[in-house]
Amino acid sequence: LDPKALPRPLDGDVEPKSFAEMYPLNCSSRYLRLTTTAIPNSQSLVSRWHLPLGAVVCPLAEPPDGEEVPIVNFASSIIRCRRCRTYVNPYVTFTDAGRKWRCNICSLLNDVPGEYFAPLDATGRRMDLDQRPELTKGSVEFVAPTEYMVRPPMPPLYFFLIDVSVSAIRSGMIEVVAQTIRSCLDELPGFPRTQIGFITYDSAIHFYNMKSSLTQPQMMVVSDLDDLFVPLPDDLLVNLSESKNVVETFLDSLPSMFQDNVNVESAFGPALKAAFMVMSQLGGKLLIFQNTLPSLGVGRLKLRGDDLRVYGTDKEHALRIAEDPFYKQMAADFTKFQIAVDVFAFSDKYTDIASLGTLAKYTGGQVCYYPNFQSAIHGEKLKHELARDLTRETAWESVMRVRCGKGIRFSSYHGNFMLRSTDLLALPAVDCDKAFAMQLSLEETLLTNQTVFFQVALLYTASCGERRIRVHTAAAPVVADLGEMYRQADTGAIVSLFSRLAIEKTLSSKLEDARNALQLRMVKALKEYRNLYAVQHRLGARMIYPESLKFLVLYGLALCKSIPLRGGYADSQLDERCAAGYTMMSLPVKKLLNLLYPSLIRVDEYLLKPSSQVDEFKEIKRLPLAAESLDSRGLYIYDDGFRLVIWFGRMLSPDIAINLLGSEFAAELSRVILGEHDNEMSRKLMRLINKLRENDRSSFQLCHLVRQGEQPREGFFLLANLVEDQIGGTSGYVDWVLQIHRQVQQNA
Amino acid sequence: MSEMANPDLEGIDGVRMTWNVWPRTKVEASKCVIPLAASISPIRPHPDIPTLPYAPLRCKTCSAILNCFSRVDFTAKIWICPFCYQRNHFPHHYSMISETNLPGELYPQFTTVQYTLPQNPDPNNNNPSSGSSPVFVFVLDTCMIEEEMGFVKSALKQAIGLLPDNALVGFVSFGTQAQVHELGFSDMSKVYVFRGTKEISKEQVLEQLGLGGGGGRRNTGPGGGFPKAAAAPLQNGFPTPNSGVTRFLLPASECEYTLNSLLDELQTDQWHVQPGYRASRCTGVALSVAAGLLGACFPGTGARIIALVGGPCTEGPGTIVSKDLSEPVRSHKDLDKDAAPYYKKAVKFYDSLAKQLVSQGHVLDLFASALDQVGVAEMKVAVERSGGLVVLSESFGHSVFKDSFKRLFEDGEQSLGLSFNGTLEINCSKDIKIQGIIGPCTSLEKKGPNVADTVYGEGNSVAWKMCGLEKSTCLTVFFDLSPSERSNTPGTMNQQLYLQFLTSYENPEGKMFLRVTTITRRWIDSSVSSEELVQGFDQETAAVVMARLTSFKMETEEGFDATRWLDRSLIRLCSKFGDYRKDDPSSFTLNPCFSLFPQFMFNLRRSQFIQVFNNSPDETAYFRMLLNRENITNAAVMIQPSLISYSFDTMPQPALLDVASISADRILLLDSYFSVVIFHGLTIAQWRNMGYQNQPEHVAFAQLLQAPRSDAQMIIRDRFPVPRLVVCDQHGSQARFLLAKLNPSATYNSAHDMAAGTDVIFTDDVSLQVFFEHLQRLAVQS
Ligand SMILES: [Zn+2]
Ligand SMILES: [Zn+2]
Repeated sequence: LDPKALPRPLDGDVEPKSFAEMYPLNCSSRYLRLTTTAIPNSQSLVSRWHLPLGAVVCPLAEPPDGEEVPIVNFASSIIRCRRCRTYVNPYVTFTDAGRKWRCNICSLLNDVPGEYFAPLDATGRRMDLDQRPELTKGSVEFVAPTEYMVRPPMPPLYFFLIDVSVSAIRSGMIEVVAQTIRSCLDELPGFPRTQIGFITYDSAIHFYNMKSSLTQPQMMVVSDLDDLFVPLPDDLLVNLSESKNVVETFLDSLPSMFQDNVNVESAFGPALKAAFMVMSQLGGKLLIFQNTLPSLGVGRLKLRGDDLRVYGTDKEHALRIAEDPFYKQMAADFTKFQIAVDVFAFSDKYTDIASLGTLAKYTGGQVCYYPNFQSAIHGEKLKHELARDLTRETAWESVMRVRCGKGIRFSSYHGNFMLRSTDLLALPAVDCDKAFAMQLSLEETLLTNQTVFFQVALLYTASCGERRIRVHTAAAPVVADLGEMYRQADTGAIVSLFSRLAIEKTLSSKLEDARNALQLRMVKALKEYRNLYAVQHRLGARMIYPESLKFLVLYGLALCKSIPLRGGYADSQLDERCAAGYTMMSLPVKKLLNLLYPSLIRVDEYLLKPSSQVDEFKEIKRLPLAAESLDSRGLYIYDDGFRLVIWFGRMLSPDIAINLLGSEFAAELSRVILGEHDNEMSRKLMRLINKLRENDRSSFQLCHLVRQGEQPREGFFLLANLVEDQIGGTSGYVDWVLQIHRQVQQNA
Repeated sequence: MSEMANPDLEGIDGVRMTWNVWPRTKVEASKCVIPLAASISPIRPHPDIPTLPYAPLRCKTCSAILNCFSRVDFTAKIWICPFCYQRNHFPHHYSMISETNLPGELYPQFTTVQYTLPQNPDPNNNNPSSGSSPVFVFVLDTCMIEEEMGFVKSALKQAIGLLPDNALVGFVSFGTQAQVHELGFSDMSKVYVFRGTKEISKEQVLEQLGLGGGGGRRNTGPGGGFPKAAAAPLQNGFPTPNSGVTRFLLPASECEYTLNSLLDELQTDQWHVQPGYRASRCTGVALSVAAGLLGACFPGTGARIIALVGGPCTEGPGTIVSKDLSEPVRSHKDLDKDAAPYYKKAVKFYDSLAKQLVSQGHVLDLFASALDQVGVAEMKVAVERSGGLVVLSESFGHSVFKDSFKRLFEDGEQSLGLSFNGTLEINCSKDIKIQGIIGPCTSLEKKGPNVADTVYGEGNSVAWKMCGLEKSTCLTVFFDLSPSERSNTPGTMNQQLYLQFLTSYENPEGKMFLRVTTITRRWIDSSVSSEELVQGFDQETAAVVMARLTSFKMETEEGFDATRWLDRSLIRLCSKFGDYRKDDPSSFTLNPCFSLFPQFMFNLRRSQFIQVFNNSPDETAYFRMLLNRENITNAAVMIQPSLISYSFDTMPQPALLDVASISADRILLLDSYFSVVIFHGLTIAQWRNMGYQNQPEHVAFAQLLQAPRSDAQMIIRDRFPVPRLVVCDQHGSQARFLLAKLNPSATYNSAHDMAAGTDVIFTDDVSLQVFFEHLQRLAVQS
């Protein structure tokens, strides 16, 4: 077996083209991807497919310029199927001279309301088709009339819950947070309706009266943790544009206000309840900045101790789930009152991310973990990511439902949300960086129709105060041929579903079991595929797989080596494992694939080239993620979408090092922060880095400099992530392929 | 018909007694009807009182202090204690004394002397800045309409401006919740908020304010950021409890700006009040919190909590009424019928607050301004026991509040002489028993041979605590005699009885003094002759003491019939001391030493102290607190107002407290203590309305108009609380303030007797004349 010949996704995510080719009216795959574009027509096909059958939905994915989702404002009510509530879409058909339309999902013939009537032309097309985006585009956004509201649309609301105990102060987190929020005030969506509020806490809860008529905010301390109450009826949550001066004064004072605080305690649970009390009338986004293990009051957590002895036992998974039911209960309350929680955690010690993350998981939020945060090093990352969180377009008080044609249904959902009923996802806030995966099952043993339709509908309040429904519609063919299913498979969607399923399994099983289950499914799928062809062809010992799934095995390996799933006790910190788990549960396909198989590029030659063409770095080739790719004379960049690791080969020309690092070229790199120096090489590198960062702004890739041989730093940042290598008892790519292949052939 | 009071009836000692000669036996004493009692003004200033810059000498047996009644053997350097006859050797530093070289305390005229004491060496207080700084914690109600809030804010700002620079100031505001303002926090306005609904222990207050001291789980510091500026004393890295001083109590000079801007931004309580409901107001919690704060910062050091309250407590401990406006605040009738569901619980709460304040040595002052009641009746116990001041008015904009509040902070002549940490001890001759004290103090429960079994007021003790006391503070001590059979051998019998009042206190400048007043009175055998007894009767004092005692009994004895009790006492007194032939009312006469007393009783019966149903329980409590703490002269005015008549013909002169004194061409000046009324007769009013006083030929009229005004200002200037000034005209609506106080000699029952220009009082009260007739008839009955 030639390792070099093994398939590698060096061009990143490869989307199957068939989806759009077959059905040009479909919504873009950035919003909806099916694990296979060929929907099996029978239960037996489903069971032989072995891979997950389902979809990954990213309802608010950022479109490139010119491809924005059109907004449709019906004068009267929105046109929907009377029976199945499907929204009018390009796949409905008009009949009866334009007076009736047939629902593409349930086939019901609906009346066309008078004001929506348009005559049909000779080919049966509506005359007004070119003025009707909802009939020509797979993605459209309807402005919802009042019947889609249970209350007036809420204003965008940002509430901040900030740990001010001694460790938070020493880390410098507070200063970065305060400055970042302040710098984003003008960019928060929803001006002039945007609301804002703050609570800080240590052993007590500090509310802030931000009434616009005040010259400065008033801090209100409540120390009665057992019987918490709100110290003011209003003004703890204020209109940002009215109280801007007070808010700014507060943010300016915040860092210095607590700089001498020596309080080590964290009344996190009570603070959370306090935030809930203040926010529950409106809902909104709660951003939590937590630096210590909650130690006082309700929801206090103990050092669970990431105990080596627990690994491999049936108690292992308990470490990865919330210990105190308080957190899940709070999350349920938050969701009920339209509050989404983002958890920013910073501690250098155990903070029980498993428990804290529960808050984000069930409220559609996210977990951002900055272990051992030090503002000098991590400040920039926090700044960018917090700013992104605050300024990106956000959909408020939303619910999402995915409808599909007769005979199939979505049977499970995976990601950060709370299920409100069997198929309604409650998303207090959702944005372009959040994706949701779901699995399909067949309701009938045999599907008779040729095509099935999917329709994603996200009902939400836009920051401007409009209630809207974003609708993505797609069609897919129904097939009776298993081979077709495999050929139309979408590895990216499959890996997304696999990742979520595997992470979920780690919450109820050992890590090893989760990895084994994953491996087994891949083996079964490949075996099934092999069996399809074994009869016609003499395959011998050759390994075969459909072209569409050529990277699956490698991604599977990468998934097993990803932080949430890798190894055992010593292979990653428990908090990091849990944080990565929460993050991966909500990643869109591309971002997830990049995290699983990051890019590795060699840049020293590029830097040395005299030419200065802007786009020339596009020619830089990605390298296999293996130590073998690293030449000790080279300079490499590893990019997983969350961080950049710049690797300095031992034999790298000192000129390059001096140019890039200046006087610190020989220093210990953990202390060096990469900056621009006054030379072309340095500028070129920085341009390149900026370009890499611009590719994906959902997180900020902090640069970590690593010198070859500098341990444990090199191992931690880079070597442990070279998924093709055999590291610490795990398989390398070649071994993995052989191992899978062996298993596929067994009992063939 | 009160006389113009002699301003110095009390002399150097500040003591007035019901009886100035005492019957020898308990039996005889009880026949005197009016109890043996002394009204004392423990720190009333007097120019003749010498200040002695050394420590007093104490009798080694009874610890009474050497005084001018001690017999001294100058050669043997021995003094004999007049209380226990113990012979005491003078210490060495007294070796120079002789008949011509006496120390101050032995001068015969110095029955009262004052010793300066070394500063209070309180071991709990290691804060160097506090020693001599007055401490004020303002507790401000915020459940008010904006207008009232404006009044009270400007009063507070003025007060803060008047405070000495070194005065330490704290600030608590409350409404639905109580908020302690951390004045030392420099970054922004900062408050600690306490739930209004829940009783809170002192320990919880401290813990929540971060003053809990080291050791606890929160030993690393106060919740919520340390003030940067605070030079908080740190021991082993932990703040000591006194860091509270730098956080919550700052010198006026440092926090005046902070306080002023805080007041500028302070809002009325923000919690919504539903129509038909009262604001939710947690006065009890706010006071608990203030007391807890002071307890942590200044235990044993004088400090005042100044509560500014604009309505009833409706939330948490100390609640006096529900929030539902359809339920009125309890009336005397409700209290009588036990139909005031909150009353007892509230009193119990304020009683425990009083105990806390007294144990800490802190004062509660109450400034209540509202149209309805605020709970003075319930809070009385805490104010009175701690020696606090109380002012009740209908608005924070009213001069009764504004001027009184300002007086609190003025110094010099105007100063109330706010003193702290007073302790009163009483020594008395054998066979004299102390029953207790009515007035602003708390019994320290210090037992001694002179403690009586029966108790009036604060008893069971020979020592009392007065956390706060002023120049004018007055206490009434009730005495009894030992029931033991006395030795009949006249040679060994002492002719004089002695009482010694020892008052230690801290004056407004923070200096410690010990005031020693020793008085002597003569024993007489009243079973032989009552002549001397009669001469020693002080009618005015007796009237006031009876008023105080009756009020006390009304408050403490269930079903007490005050009028009946007063009538019977008066009849018994008249039977014993009047001259008459049995069963012949017309023969009845009273010695001049008693002659004013029946009229005092007549007016007392009609006064607000007895006729409580005409007032709210708050008003009654207020009147009684002032009755108990004012000197005899002022208290007598409360019972029987003084009336002065001004006319062209004569000098201003006392007039009968009778409707007959009203005349169209007179101006009357009524002083009923709580209000001062200038009442213009009809003609005077007409002339004034025509502006005669502005015409040069009518200077005399202008002067006539001015005279009662000037006199009223004199009265108002010296009084705390500042009385309400009412200027009115005959037949005007405000005239009721005068008419209510006058004897109804002419009522609508007898209108035909009325002379022209007089007024009729619409009342069913019996007139003084009828009262006298009844009294005479009953007194002479066999
Ligand atoms: Zn339908
Ligand atoms: Zn003695």
